[in-house]
Amino acid sequence: MSQSRPTFDTASLVEDVSLTRIAQYILVVVFIGFFLVPLEAGFVTALKTNEAVARSLPFVPSLGDGFTLENLEFAFNQLRDSFVNSLLLALPATIVNVLLASMAAYGLTMVNWRGQLGFLILFLIGIFVPYQAVIVPLADFWNNIFPIAEMLAPTFAAIPLLAEYHSDLVPLIITDIAYGIPICTILFRSYYNSLPESLVEAAKIDGASIAKIYRRIILPISKPMFGVVFIYQFTQIYNEFLFAFTLIVAADAPAAPVTLLIPSLGASTSGINYGIRMSAAILAALPTILLYVAFAEQFAKGLRTESG
Amino acid sequence: MGRIELDDVTKRFGPETAVEDLNLDIEDEEFLVLVGPSGCGKSTTLRMIAGLETPTEGDVYIDGDHMNYRVPQNRDIAMVFQDYALYPHMTVRGNIGFGLEEEKGYTKAERGERVEEVAEMLGISELLDRKPDELSGGQQQRVALGRAIVRSPEAFLMDEPLANLDAKLRSEMRAELQNLQEMLEVTTVYVTHNQTEAMTMGDRIAVLDDGRLQQVGEPLELYHEPANRFVAGFIGEPMMNFLEGELDGGTLVTPYLDYSLDDDLRSAVGDATALTLGIRPEDIELEEFGGDPGSLGDHEYVMNVTVVEPHGNQNVVHLNHAGAEDEFDVLQAVTGGMEMLTVDEEVVVSIDPDLIHLFDGQSGQALHNRRMEAETELTQI
Amino acid sequence: MAQLELDHVTKVFQDDEEDEEIVAVDDVSIDIADEEFLVLVGPSGCGKSTTLRMIAGLETITDGEIRLGGRVLNDVRAQDRDIAMVFQSYALYPHMTVHENIAFGLEESTDLPDAEIDDRVHEATEMMGIDDLLERTPGELSGGQQQRVALGRAIVRDPDVFLMDEPLSNLDAKLRAEMRTELQRLQDQLGVTTVYVTHDQTEAMTMGDRIAVLDDGQLQQVGTPLECYHRPNNLFVAGFIGDPSMNFFPGEITDGTFVSDSIEYPLDDDTATDLDGQTEVTLGIRPEDVRVGEGSASDHTFEATVDVVEPQGDTNTVHLELDSGREFTATTNGRPKADEDDRVVVEFPPKAIHLFATRSGEALKNRDIEADQEVGNLLS
Repeated sequence: MSQSRPTFDTASLVEDVSLTRIAQYILVVVFIGFFLVPLEAGFVTALKTNEAVARSLPFVPSLGDGFTLENLEFAFNQLRDSFVNSLLLALPATIVNVLLASMAAYGLTMVNWRGQLGFLILFLIGIFVPYQAVIVPLADFWNNIFPIAEMLAPTFAAIPLLAEYHSDLVPLIITDIAYGIPICTILFRSYYNSLPESLVEAAKIDGASIAKIYRRIILPISKPMFGVVFIYQFTQIYNEFLFAFTLIVAADAPAAPVTLLIPSLGASTSGINYGIRMSAAILAALPTILLYVAFAEQFAKGLRTESG
Repeated sequence: MGRIELDDVTKRFGPETAVEDLNLDIEDEEFLVLVGPSGCGKSTTLRMIAGLETPTEGDVYIDGDHMNYRVPQNRDIAMVFQDYALYPHMTVRGNIGFGLEEEKGYTKAERGERVEEVAEMLGISELLDRKPDELSGGQQQRVALGRAIVRSPEAFLMDEPLANLDAKLRSEMRAELQNLQEMLEVTTVYVTHNQTEAMTMGDRIAVLDDGRLQQVGEPLELYHEPANRFVAGFIGEPMMNFLEGELDGGTLVTPYLDYSLDDDLRSAVGDATALTLGIRPEDIELEEFGGDPGSLGDHEYVMNVTVVEPHGNQNVVHLNHAGAEDEFDVLQAVTGGMEMLTVDEEVVVSIDPDLIHLFDGQSGQALHNRRMEAETELTQI
Repeated sequence: MAQLELDHVTKVFQDDEEDEEIVAVDDVSIDIADEEFLVLVGPSGCGKSTTLRMIAGLETITDGEIRLGGRVLNDVRAQDRDIAMVFQSYALYPHMTVHENIAFGLEESTDLPDAEIDDRVHEATEMMGIDDLLERTPGELSGGQQQRVALGRAIVRDPDVFLMDEPLSNLDAKLRAEMRTELQRLQDQLGVTTVYVTHDQTEAMTMGDRIAVLDDGQLQQVGTPLECYHRPNNLFVAGFIGDPSMNFFPGEITDGTFVSDSIEYPLDDDTATDLDGQTEVTLGIRPEDVRVGEGSASDHTFEATVDVVEPQGDTNTVHLELDSGREFTATTNGRPKADEDDRVVVEFPPKAIHLFATRSGEALKNRDIEADQEVGNLLS
């Protein structure tokens, strides 16, 4: 993309200064502060000892005595296993979720068949199902009616690098996929609607079957959208608490994802250790941040395509 | 053989009828142009031949096979879209080769060779490894053509392929397309709204309006012997002049001039009283007006020049009545590029009865067409 | 006083990704008179749209000045420039009615009372012949109607300058021909300076008071349509203006004769002096000046084979091939007697040829206009 750069000279810069300009900039600084200060405070608190937290203002960093890396170390050790759980949960779930959603959206927008509208409505309804309403039947289903976790336990035990208890994640993965598909499908659908129909028509005339058109034409073109939906859905699943709590139940369960552990970290009979809490929060957020950084360009492209 | 037959084909979209009762036979190796204004049904007709739409009534045959319910993948036709519809993530090579993957009887190596063969035919061999967004409009168009050619289909279907090109490029591509089609000997159905393209490219032209076929025939046939007023007005640029009036005795009375008809013309007209006189701009003769109204002969009128459009190789002269208050012009005439009339000049307009067309004022049917020009002999140089 | 001056206007784009500079418009200077209809014409990417957008204020000016009525526009915002623009895509507000679309500009940029705005809207729509469509939204209109609304929106503001960016290109060929004449009449009637961008040389020829031909960001020639047609400054203008295009034969001058791979063409003494010592020369002749017939080859006459005959109805475009394989076109009248693969003889009348310096493209000699050819009165 090319832009035209205005010629830079100090004279015009000074000329530009006016009351409105100053007010605008002050407003900008205030908003930046509003958003960044809590983050900074959290980060800084993670590096403080408990005494330092009590002594100083939240956003002031502590050097010398008050500075410590112990909190981070401690939080990391506590969370280590659950990180693995969270990733084992979120990565496969997101991948399958996004793939299935893209296929569904393809079928709904680029292929003509009877009853499409009905299915579309079902998807839309799916978005609005409140999680809270279904946790009881959900637990019942996975624990009693179809105890897939138990059934797969021995298989998981046999797989190297995985442990038996990891099979407890399977119901959660399936649930997250199921509840994530509607919104992801709608996201893909709006993207596919913006693609020219003539692409699919040309492929049909070239002799490609519906499946081949998806595989060879639509899927490769969807890359920017995959980036967006993947980041969005990964964040949703990774941060998800309610279903995890319903199905995995306890923070000390071996298969517990990170979201279950965080509330319990740093709490003790002597009160709450904010340093540990903040460390846990920051560490927990790292995977999603890294993911965003890795896919940032795709994300931006995808958003641009959406609105373009 | 790539013969295409459309039998009583009708296409309705809900309450709208896009194509009505279309009967058209396209011969093998013929270049047939479907032409007409926006919304006339030409694109819909093309898409029914392609299989992207299904006829509501009637039958489509390609090569004698009934096609109505056959999917596009199985019709052995190739299409060039107005927006080219190139696969953006594939190289030129990939784009052209994609359709070959489904063709039986090719080894991988043979496919590669065929792609290179076609690329060379179209002059895009150096572009094979580029992506569509790295190509100019004209280059993209050639890739779209390549994609169609490579499969050696029974028929080419082209939907306004030149519409997105610059005027100059369009003229160049017209000649190239024609040469290509002749060389490849493939039946081609070509859709356009541009009558110049239709006239210069088609072996035959089919004119459509509002879903109905108006006339099918060779270009010059449609030009000199239009079946109705619509065809007469659509084919030919600048457009044919039309003067509507009533027949009074032996004279056609119009708001702008009176035109006497001889016995032959009167009998051609038969019972019709509401008539439209048509005369092509290039058939109107212009001469300087000496000032004496008495010197005017039959079918000669004094008019005022309102606008002169210089085209370089010719001028289009707009004429109105002297002192007329209407904005528009009554007639347009064409003169050679070197002759220059001035605005407000008075001229004698001569409309030769041998050159006029007469249409029924109500139905638009052609009652009498001008004599076809005799083939001109080559001059001695 | 709406004289528009482009003074050494340049536009450079920075391509951040490729780290390149693109000179879209290179040192263009044009003086547009009050009430003049100037057409900016050239192929895609020649800089015509960018120039128009700089006049509108939608692009900044890298170098040079644009003045309207003496006032420098460079740093004036688009909203403050008293200019109305018609876009190729019409850019109508889809959620507003025709009435609201047209009134919007007046409401935003003037203090006029509602009643007067209403009057002006009615006036403009009557002029455009769309006063019965006032309550419709753009989605309910045909292409031609939408275009008239876009025009109405521009007219109603009574601006100093109209800018039009290929406004007819989305219309059907027939509608385009009609709108051409209408637009011209309109502009004549309103008397507003107009800058019109197109890639279609027919539009340029028939609509412009003057044409400015651009190629690759550079101004090639500014002149009346007929000047550009009969007295092109260089190869580019000669090849761009005129449809079908002028035929070109590159070659050399040897001993007062033009020699190319296909023809030998003796030049008379007057012509030879015009050449000013240039030896690498391209000969140009327009298709309508090529005479096709029977006979034998001589000084200015050559044998050729007919390749394709394109019948246009009143004329024919005949594609011919000389024995060397070089192709060219001729325009003939009436029903074609020549068929594909016929052998014919073609004459290039000496009065009709143009000669250009091959390397620089500059015109060395343009065609002669006879005293009795009236078009001569219009050429300076």
